[in-house]
Amino acid sequence: MEQYLEYALYIGSVLGALALAVMLPRQSGGIRFLGPMLGAATLGGLWLFLSNGGLWADRDPGMSSASFIYYYLFSAIAIVSAVRVITHTRPVYAALWFVMVVLASAGLFLVLSAQFMAFAVVIIYGGAILVTYMFVLMLASQSTPDGGSSQGYDKVAKEPVLACAAGFLLLAVLLSVIFDYHRLDAARAQVDPAMTDAALIESTLGNRPLQAVKTYEYNDAGEAVEVAGVTQPNNLDPTRLANAERVGLDLFLSHPLGLELAGVILLVSLIGAIVIAKTKVPDEHLAVSG
Amino acid sequence: MPLTTMDSLTLSHFLLTGAVLFCLGLIGFITRRNLIIMFLCTEMMFQGVAVSLVAFSRYHLNDTGQTFVIFVLTIAAAEAALALGLVVLLFRRKRTLDALAWSQLQG
Repeated sequence: MEQYLEYALYIGSVLGALALAVMLPRQSGGIRFLGPMLGAATLGGLWLFLSNGGLWADRDPGMSSASFIYYYLFSAIAIVSAVRVITHTRPVYAALWFVMVVLASAGLFLVLSAQFMAFAVVIIYGGAILVTYMFVLMLASQSTPDGGSSQGYDKVAKEPVLACAAGFLLLAVLLSVIFDYHRLDAARAQVDPAMTDAALIESTLGNRPLQAVKTYEYNDAGEAVEVAGVTQPNNLDPTRLANAERVGLDLFLSHPLGLELAGVILLVSLIGAIVIAKTKVPDEHLAVSG
Repeated sequence: MPLTTMDSLTLSHFLLTGAVLFCLGLIGFITRRNLIIMFLCTEMMFQGVAVSLVAFSRYHLNDTGQTFVIFVLTIAAAEAALALGLVVLLFRRKRTLDALAWSQLQG
């Protein structure tokens, strides 16, 4: 069945492009209702193919692991919400659907056992950035000519067909590379199955300052206990490092320069945003109308 | 627990989700005319990249992928602050969020 996967992905891309092109806002909304049906059918078919008929049926018969289900659930939520973001005619609702995208990808991060990133994304994206977007949306809201809730320019997409063709062409190319299983099997063979967390920590963080990472240790009850003055190299069991600790170690020990640059970028954008906000501009609208 | 036991869920599955999010964001950026929604679509492209990076991090057992997501979040926050400031500036000038109102620029 592997040889059909490529065709399935291409057919899925074409059908998805058709569905999205129909769903995008346009003036004559006669056939818009066909879009969700076609899109749902495409996504469902692709999911069935990937989960069932695809590649892993012969290699891994026991596929009923929980993360398997959660992957398809969260991916479907993320993709459907992303489609709603770009097809909704009311900007506030589009921003709210984007929160769904963020939450669903946080779920995907949990499936990937990246707990710290899941919470960071929810807090930073779903909290801070989206609130800023909402503020600006409210700030820049105008009364509509017909008293409705969405502006004329939100109701008509520009070049929906060409954009869908270009976007899904890119998607098809990406998918043909992503699902190239001959290449992937070769890459898979190179991953050492004996590589554990301990080996990973020792290989990437071999010369870490032991004093810094050995301050805390987990006891059997799972609570962190401070260990004073321990410098023996094998004292800390790296397999018991939590995800946040590993990311923190990697961030501060492997990318200190990047960290400093990120701080500089944030400072510059802060100053830049203040300067932009205080800039005086002529109001061309008032000049034209009054 | 070794982290390589993800037999049924492969890297490709997560890359598919990331690629779809990225392409949907791209299409949204091209088609939407509301300036704020256009920048929201760039955030969606960031989100697709973040999913791919975390998936790579898990697959290669290397935390650098997740560290890069932190940097992506930093850049996204900086971009949101600057872009929204510019959008407000443009809105004060033309009293509209329509991107086509700016199709003819002159110095």
